Amino acid sequence: MNAALPRLHAITDDRVAGESWFPARAAQLAQAAGAELAVHLRARVLEGGAFLALARELRAAIASHGSWLVVNDRADVARAAGAQAVVTGRTGLVTEDVRRVAPGLAVGRSVHGAVEARAAADEGADFLVAGAVYETPTHPGEKPSGLAVVRAAAGTGRPVIAIGGVTPARTPEVVAAGAWGVAAIRALWDAPDPAAAARAFLAALPARGTLALQVNGEPREAPAGTTLAGLLAQLGLDPRAVVVEHNRRIVRREGLAEAGLAEGDAVEIVHFVGGG
Amino acid sequence: MAYQDTPLVIGGRTFGSRLMVGTGKYRDNATMVQAIAASGAEVVTVAVRRVSLDRTKDEGILYHLDPQRFFLLANTAGCYNAEDAMRYARLAREAGFNEFVKLEVIGDQETLLPDVAGLLEAARQLAKEGFKVMAYTNEDLITALRLEDAGCVAVMPLASPIGSGLGLLNPYHVRIIKQRLTVPVIVDAGVGTASDACITMEQGVDGILMNTAIAAAQDPVAMGHAMKLAVEAGRAAYLAGRMPRREVAVPSSPTTGMLS
Repeated sequence: MNAALPRLHAITDDRVAGESWFPARAAQLAQAAGAELAVHLRARVLEGGAFLALARELRAAIASHGSWLVVNDRADVARAAGAQAVVTGRTGLVTEDVRRVAPGLAVGRSVHGAVEARAAADEGADFLVAGAVYETPTHPGEKPSGLAVVRAAAGTGRPVIAIGGVTPARTPEVVAAGAWGVAAIRALWDAPDPAAAARAFLAALPARGTLALQVNGEPREAPAGTTLAGLLAQLGLDPRAVVVEHNRRIVRREGLAEAGLAEGDAVEIVHFVGGG
Repeated sequence: MAYQDTPLVIGGRTFGSRLMVGTGKYRDNATMVQAIAASGAEVVTVAVRRVSLDRTKDEGILYHLDPQRFFLLANTAGCYNAEDAMRYARLAREAGFNEFVKLEVIGDQETLLPDVAGLLEAARQLAKEGFKVMAYTNEDLITALRLEDAGCVAVMPLASPIGSGLGLLNPYHVRIIKQRLTVPVIVDAGVGTASDACITMEQGVDGILMNTAIAAAQDPVAMGHAMKLAVEAGRAAYLAGRMPRREVAVPSSPTTGMLS
């Protein structure tokens, strides 16, 4: 994966994706959680064109904050929209096929038990979305799997995002069971103050480490998960006024938000000065 | 205008002035902006450098020069091998203004004379990558011809070393380069004052690029104006065609009708 997988995943369903407040609220969440946020777009009722338009709108709302766009099921839409990841379910495309359509994107598989988790890990998925942990209004009457599904998925060694009735209060026990992060629908989108809800989740999740970087030849630290766009923002630099080289490769302006940084990376940020 | 001239076209682009100026070494940005305005230059050169991370130093040149008004020609000044020069050129192009680059590969710190082997290597590769390369070089015909073959859109022989102000040391070689090349020849570096610019233009070259002569003058704005006039005068004189040189005097006034 390009950059560290975010720990807080805001999942959409057809209802949320259809709300007029959706992109604005996504931007609020992105502002609050930055590179720790992934917004999953799941809109089963939309045809490809409308789905892609929505994905692009969503990306425009969140990318400048370093948040991930994750597209469910439609690897083609994910690639066209410049998403960071694709998540597919039991009956969706397998990892190998997602990579064929959307090379370079992270691939997550949605899993519901130990057998599915093992299979997803064996096929090379980058992360697992495991649930439902607790009973949820989205799937009334369905018997939740409890923390066992998190433990089973974590046993594969892949990062696990726990889903299903997870709240900030329940987050510590989910993390203790081995989850890398958590996913929520209503607890984020329908909160009276979505940004505050995102911050409450983040407070309950493990804090990120820092990366040691070389920026213009000087040692610099940045929070893990920082993208080049995030680094420029941290330095107070306008991306339009500079050119960025990442480990000796030039990164185009439109790619800055997706370019994740790793420990030891060398970044050069240049501009025009007076010269003859 | 009292004389007819063809427009200056480099790499398919027409430029309004034969004087190109650098933006380095000015005591302040306000003086630079006024001096450039007085010079009438359209092409201004800029260098690629690291931004200052502590933000206490001055901001980039684009905060002072309007890229809509001036044609920004990035240089690879300070590069001592082909690889570095290509790296700087690629970074400059990514800034998104144009595909032109003033290619410099320096071979010696004291004289800042070009490393022609590195220059040719970088010029060939950058031309392949779609750059419009304007190559800073010696006043050497063979190198100039090779640079043209390498795909350069202009060749830029020096008048004398960068920042020296020694003027045009080798008019014969510059003239012969101009006669033999098809691409425009822009003399770059070494002009010290207006007469140097005028003499250089009288050789028939297509233009001059200068920086220090204006920036380091006592009054850069006045010198910018002087250089504009000198380049125009030199160009006009070249087009006019000078009289033949003679080693004996020929009177200008009639020798007949004198009083007895």
